[in-house]
Amino acid sequence: MDKPLGSVARACAFKVVEELKPEDSVLVCVPPLVIGATPHSEWIKKYPVITIDGCPERCATKIVAKNGGRIRGRVFIPQSVQKYGLKPKASAEIGPEGEKLAAKIADETALLIDKILRK
Amino acid sequence: MTIVKDKVGVVSCSGEDLPEGTISRIATRLVLEKLRPHDTVTICLPLFLAGSEDERAFARVFPTIAVDGCDKRCAEVGTKEYSGKPVAVIVVSEIMKKYPHLKTKSRDNLSAEEKKLAIKVAEEIAAKVDEILGRKK
Repeated sequence: MDKPLGSVARACAFKVVEELKPEDSVLVCVPPLVIGATPHSEWIKKYPVITIDGCPERCATKIVAKNGGRIRGRVFIPQSVQKYGLKPKASAEIGPEGEKLAAKIADETALLIDKILRK
Repeated sequence: MTIVKDKVGVVSCSGEDLPEGTISRIATRLVLEKLRPHDTVTICLPLFLAGSEDERAFARVFPTIAVDGCDKRCAEVGTKEYSGKPVAVIVVSEIMKKYPHLKTKSRDNLSAEEKKLAIKVAEEIAAKVDEILGRKK
């Protein structure tokens, strides 16, 4: 919520589920996992999960693991910032560099999905 | 437990599931950055739920407003469970009923209509902040 890289994580996830892999992926909202809301809590137990973390706290990974999710891949945005040298502007508006960064990470995530699904 | 009333914590839905969640995030940022920058701080909901003691301690001592996108009310339920009952709860899907002409579609980039709705929600949050702090604006 308060970090630009968290917003990049969101933008990346939207690109994957809405543009790159709409048939092969669903987006799981993190807070419903903690309060046990369905269908999110069921999805993470039933399907392989890729977590996308925006900061070193790695909340997505911690919460999915704690709630019995089958984590098969992890994406860590700060690492990608170093790799691509792109810096998002702000949390509310990630700007052109943030969008470019989200697109690059989304491409990598889509490849990870192919690998998990053996496509 | 003493509640300190000089700052209000705004706990926003993380909003990946529905456009209303994105509106709750943007509205919260508007309050923090433009409408009430000196009176508010945000609490990162995933961090709070993942077990951050700093975030939870803040929400035990300072009054909080939960801003939820939908009826699951994750921000309200989570805050109540791990720190204490939020002083106020704002649910975007409820506010939307007051503005039936404003529609939501995107979870990612907000349209001009969705931005208008985010401003309306932000104004309601700011009004609650004033009410909690006993200020008239």
